[in-house]
Amino acid sequence: MKSSIVGTLTSALVALTFCSSVAGAEPKLLEPERAFALSVQAVDEKTVEVRFAIAHGYYLYREKMKFAVEPAVLASPPQLPPGALKDDPFFGTVETYRGRFALRLPLASVEPGLKVTVKAESQGCADAGVCYPPQVQSVTVALPAPGGRPGAPVAATPARKSWFN
Amino acid sequence: MTRPFSTRRILSWAGLALAGAIALSAGLYFGGSADRGSGADLRGKDAAALFGVALPDTKGREQSIGQWKGKLLVVNFWATWCVPCREEMPEFVKAQQEFGQRGLQFVGIAIDDTAKVEAFAAELGLNYPALIGGYGAIELSRSFGNRLGALPFTIVVDRAGRISHTQLGPIKEAQLRAIISQLL
Repeated sequence: MKSSIVGTLTSALVALTFCSSVAGAEPKLLEPERAFALSVQAVDEKTVEVRFAIAHGYYLYREKMKFAVEPAVLASPPQLPPGALKDDPFFGTVETYRGRFALRLPLASVEPGLKVTVKAESQGCADAGVCYPPQVQSVTVALPAPGGRPGAPVAATPARKSWFN
Repeated sequence: MTRPFSTRRILSWAGLALAGAIALSAGLYFGGSADRGSGADLRGKDAAALFGVALPDTKGREQSIGQWKGKLLVVNFWATWCVPCREEMPEFVKAQQEFGQRGLQFVGIAIDDTAKVEAFAAELGLNYPALIGGYGAIELSRSFGNRLGALPFTIVVDRAGRISHTQLGPIKEAQLRAIISQLL
């Protein structure tokens, strides 16, 4: 019984491998919202922290990042951390992010407890040889009271579906 | 982005949307599913929905994809902001030069604005049409199996007007040569 299950699984795997090789040289790629995972945390009554976790083999362009917070205004322009310099034959020197980066957005004219929606626009590529068009991800968080505890980080994309729940 | 919407532009969007809807329903009808990856589902299917698309070129003249029916047609979705797209295009220029007389026709659909496309086309010596699709063209490519809406995405249509190949990601030179020798 056990061996027949193993046999079935093995042939299924062989079939899958065969199919994918016949289908062509397409790289296995993540959906952009998973390749460039956004989370936001309200750190105090007038500051939100935006974090990107970029999957291995993917990168974002620093100059393509845009941020907006509604209903609020940014107290100062977003201070993006420096990226890695990359020479682009057409655009000149560009900066890219890999791995993780974070920045804080200072908000003006907000009240404690206000729910704010952070909209982050980003554009990036996979080393496998594709680029994604700009995507906008949104996260809504509630601002804590002055001196209150920071909110929990909220992810833009729900956790990957599991077979076990 | 700064240019106001003209009637022609709105019409071309309507055309794109319609073509997309037709292609999508065709895909669904034939059992294709948008999340099974790109490619295989649409192979061998009629490219009528693609031939129905018309987009402006860099001079603003409306160009119908249908005008290239009967050629071995390679429709490549690209953008200047996509490095792998730019990297594979010299190969296309070379192949267009070499096989254009025998019926090979490349057509680029740029998810980009005209000024950047013109600048890059001049730098590269682009010898095939560059149509300006904007982000709406990403949706068009999705309807032909570009599940992730990423670039480059390429559709090969044989001389009989059937989709023979779709691919997300760059086409290697050897692969392009194989497609040409098989279908031209």
